Amino acid sequence: MKDFLNLIVEPLNELFGKFAAFLPNLLAMLVILILGIIAARISRALLIRFLKAIDFDSWADRIGVTSMLRKGDLWAKPSLALAAVVFWLLIIGTLTAGMSALKVPAIDQLIAQFLQYLPRALSASIILVVGYVFTGFLSRAVLITAVNSGFRAAKLLAESIRLLLTVLILAMVLEELRVAPGIVLAAFSIIFGGIVAALAIAFGVGGIDAAKRIIERETRREAGKEEQQDIEHV
Amino acid sequence: MAQITQRQEVRTFLDQIGSADILVGIPSYNNARTIGHVVRAIQAGLAKYFPNRKAVLVNSDGGSRDGTMDVVRRTRIEDQAALLLHHRVDPTPVIAMPYTGPPGKGSAFRAVFEIADALGAKACAVVDSDLRSITPEWIELLIRPVLNGEAEFVAPLYHRHKYDGTITNSIVYPLTRALYGKCVRQPIGGDFGFSGKLASFYLAQDVWQTDVARFGIDIWMTTTAIANRFSVAQSFLGAKIHDAKDPGSDLSVMLYQVVSAAFGLMEAYHPIWRDVRTVDAVPSFGFEYTVGLEPVQVNVGRMTGVFREGVRNLTEIWSDVLGKGDLIEVTRLAELPDREFRFPPSLWTRIIYDYAIAYHRKQLSAEHLLKSLTPLYLGKTASFILEAESLGQEDAEALIEKLCSEFERAKDYLIARWQ
Repeated sequence: MKDFLNLIVEPLNELFGKFAAFLPNLLAMLVILILGIIAARISRALLIRFLKAIDFDSWADRIGVTSMLRKGDLWAKPSLALAAVVFWLLIIGTLTAGMSALKVPAIDQLIAQFLQYLPRALSASIILVVGYVFTGFLSRAVLITAVNSGFRAAKLLAESIRLLLTVLILAMVLEELRVAPGIVLAAFSIIFGGIVAALAIAFGVGGIDAAKRIIERETRREAGKEEQQDIEHV
Repeated sequence: MAQITQRQEVRTFLDQIGSADILVGIPSYNNARTIGHVVRAIQAGLAKYFPNRKAVLVNSDGGSRDGTMDVVRRTRIEDQAALLLHHRVDPTPVIAMPYTGPPGKGSAFRAVFEIADALGAKACAVVDSDLRSITPEWIELLIRPVLNGEAEFVAPLYHRHKYDGTITNSIVYPLTRALYGKCVRQPIGGDFGFSGKLASFYLAQDVWQTDVARFGIDIWMTTTAIANRFSVAQSFLGAKIHDAKDPGSDLSVMLYQVVSAAFGLMEAYHPIWRDVRTVDAVPSFGFEYTVGLEPVQVNVGRMTGVFREGVRNLTEIWSDVLGKGDLIEVTRLAELPDREFRFPPSLWTRIIYDYAIAYHRKQLSAEHLLKSLTPLYLGKTASFILEAESLGQEDAEALIEKLCSEFERAKDYLIARWQ
């Protein structure tokens, strides 16, 4: 009976022993996380106050950072955007430090892999941010130019360009992250090619009249028959 | 940046001349076809009206490849008797040189200001190189008020077709007048007279590496003169006819350049214009006469078409700039048939002020913001053409005056929202 009880108690003792040994690590992780989050929040608040004190937003306006953010549909103040980036970097650092405090070999290995992967993640996020800004800027430029030219399908054209660029940028990001590169390349080729083919067919079938009008207008312009607009705006 | 006066050929010219009473500048870029006439008119004007004054003619060129500078160098008045000149006329010293700095009319003017400053010129004038209607009298009308001490800056006053100059009539003139309190009818006319002192003042401003050097120099000169309390006048020059514009020139680019220059100056001179509460007429010179103007063809349907496309596609941008209330009013306008299409002056005024505020707050990239104004501007222009169709020149001018009054009345709205 005693042996039987030992059979039950020993694993429990062992588990308790392991847990007791693990507990300080867990507590250390929790402390690191709590302190890290507090530090990140304090850093964010201090950074915002500092950036306000040095009039960072005006400086960002002058050198065109604000304008670049607006081009990409990012409406936060540059100081708040920078503070948010710093906050999340600190949170990621805190999480990494907290996890390594657990001293679990599997987690340590994962963290090591993560740290090795970090440069790729960083460059992928740069591609994503720059791509997002560029896509927003270009599609808006196309929309405004098309409207000002009197093109009837301006929104469709701008959205098509946004979609094509988004697909292209996402493919670039996944390629950079080395996420199933073969599949990404194949998927990208299929999706991108599909969209282009769909647009071509859509224009060919639905836009016959528009194409005819454009060709006729060009022919008239070449022949000098198009109605002249003599008005001088300035 | 290297000064133009440090260049060897310019230095030699300046050393030969020493000093001058009058300087006339012509900015140019590939204007060989028209600049000869402009040079002849200037030489005739100087010979006829200022025979006892020492004058120079400066051609500031942007790197023409059609021999523009050669035309300037070899052009002389051939038949003096035809101009009723009975005194001996010495040829006006001429220098034609390429300017330095960013390409644009502003850099060309900077070179003119530098030479005026170096020669200690008392009075200067600048005229466009593509003018076909310039006469010798233009030089007198732009220079005389300055030499007589009656004005330090002389803006042009033209008779134009009622449909022409719509960016001036619906934006720049009402805005400049309401902001700075001076009724300068053609603030971006392009042909100006000014004192040597004002030329030196212009030269001393730190703007020659900015957009002012590329475009917007006309509104910059006018606004800088008014805002810095130089005495301003205008001279009636008759009709302004110039070479046919480049058919490829894009309206939205033109609108962006003109409006961004005006809005940019609002930033610089905010402390000045926020306190201006009255609007004063400026002294006018020259004998006003009626000018026969060529008919102008317009396609109102295309204008309203672009306006309606804007309403269909640009509501997101317009909503951020104009706010919901005015956007609803704009949307209602788009539903009207062409014959009833009228843009209320109060709505147009708020639109321009809202765009100025959005530009000030950097709500969007400046180029996108101001290019998104194009459909609204075309809507306003179409409305003006429909309204002025059956009106004479004076009644059409009264419509513009009514719009100016609206800009002045709504100025408090702009001041309140600017902060």
